[in-house]
Amino acid sequence: MSYSDIFKDHLANPRNAGELPNADAIAEETNPVCGDRLSLSLRLANGRIEAVRFLAYGCPPTLVCGSALAEIVEGMTIDEAMQLTRKQIVEAVGGLSSRKQHAAALAIETLRSALTKNASADCQNR
Amino acid sequence: MHHIYLDHSATTPIDDRVFEAMLPYLRDKFGNASSVHQLGQDARAAVDKGRRQVAALIHARANEIVFSSGGTEANNLALTGICQAAQTHGRHIITSAIEHPSVRGVVDHLEKQGWSITRLPVYENGIVRLDDVRAALRDDTILVSVMMANNEIGTIQPVAEIGALVRAERARGRKHLWFHTDAIQAAGRISIDVEVIGCDLLSLSAHKLYAPKGTGALFVRRGVRLLPQQIGGHQERERRAGTESVANIVAFGKAAELARAEMSERSAHTRSLRDRFENKVQEQIADIIFNGDREDRLPHLSNISFRFVEGEGLLIHLDMQGVAVSTGSACSSGTLEPSPVIKALGRNEELARGAIRFSFGKDNTQDEVDFAIDALIRAVESLRAISPLARDMASVPSA
Repeated sequence: MSYSDIFKDHLANPRNAGELPNADAIAEETNPVCGDRLSLSLRLANGRIEAVRFLAYGCPPTLVCGSALAEIVEGMTIDEAMQLTRKQIVEAVGGLSSRKQHAAALAIETLRSALTKNASADCQNR
Repeated sequence: MHHIYLDHSATTPIDDRVFEAMLPYLRDKFGNASSVHQLGQDARAAVDKGRRQVAALIHARANEIVFSSGGTEANNLALTGICQAAQTHGRHIITSAIEHPSVRGVVDHLEKQGWSITRLPVYENGIVRLDDVRAALRDDTILVSVMMANNEIGTIQPVAEIGALVRAERARGRKHLWFHTDAIQAAGRISIDVEVIGCDLLSLSAHKLYAPKGTGALFVRRGVRLLPQQIGGHQERERRAGTESVANIVAFGKAAELARAEMSERSAHTRSLRDRFENKVQEQIADIIFNGDREDRLPHLSNISFRFVEGEGLLIHLDMQGVAVSTGSACSSGTLEPSPVIKALGRNEELARGAIRFSFGKDNTQDEVDFAIDALIRAVESLRAISPLARDMASVPSA
């Protein structure tokens, strides 16, 4: 187990941690096998993610991928966010071993879930 | 960064006195203990002395000590060796649910080969009950293997009572019933007397005693027959072939001698640090659970579950602050393996995942413990601040 400096920085200083009051889009996904949880709340305006907050429980990669995701997607258009890949999350945290890739997959899954479930809410804001 | 090592159950630093004792055998006194010339005889004398020192730690005879490459090999030799030697008399083993992987793995392997296994529960206090051992005995039982003290929670098992039971059963005619105990965590921390325990086999490891990694020992009571697992040499009285690791054995012997001489002092010191640590943690961190019996346990060890957070995150947070601890759970490939020991206490997944082991050593100081407590508070607060489990708990209205 060897983690990069950027990984440790995310763990020590999580970006955009917490929950947004009056969020436009929220989702919480759980890895059914290991029980890791990631919660996202998003504020959407004009087709963009204006603000984002995350909460996470589980192994360090899950916490760190949540933090990295919350940092990356803020300011993105919804279309851009929907195109975000697991690989980009892995790169953003300085790499993950193949055994820990599931953490980045959970991050992407939660983001897409939030955006898909709440697409209609955003349409009203466009 | 200042490093505070609170993981002495994983391994210990090498004591300077041990290091000095072994050095000559890495340099000038490099002989093979099986050689007839003077260099060889010097090495033989050093190995013999190490054997006497290790034997003295557990009140055994020197010729009952078989050196190995470590604790894992000692446990493998004990279980596989005795089972192969005694299998014509029965193929049932009694063990506990909280054995170290070096016992658990061998037992699992034997089970796949058709052996019948009884894994005794430990209940919430992490201790095996003698009545359960008695009830598990069958006509075809040939081995009881129960550790002396657990490596994750430190609970001390009733090994002397189990030993007495096994001896009584043998006296009643069950001649092929043996008792093995893994004393790797107990050695140097509590007193060990193979006569009091009444065991036939007992495993030790050097690197838990402030000696280097790479050497262990198995006590094999005189008259107990086991099949060697390393063959191709006459070393260790035909019980473990291979050139003796002379310098490591010298170190092990010295470490055993020091552990015996300083045991009460080390034990009192680590107990005092451990108790200070636990009292302060209990005062300053909410939603924690101590794992394992608070009385019948090793003096140097504390295992605590922190609710709403996961152990590996805590471990890395502490590591980033210069404090080294360990967790029994492992998450890989999207599958979680929470510590089987914590699960055996009846704890749920969350508590098993949030368990951390703090194990103190003879050279830790009160200042280090105080620093570690502050680091722990910061780590727990930081992880709980982003935990959806903590949020869920906070949103539940109080009664």
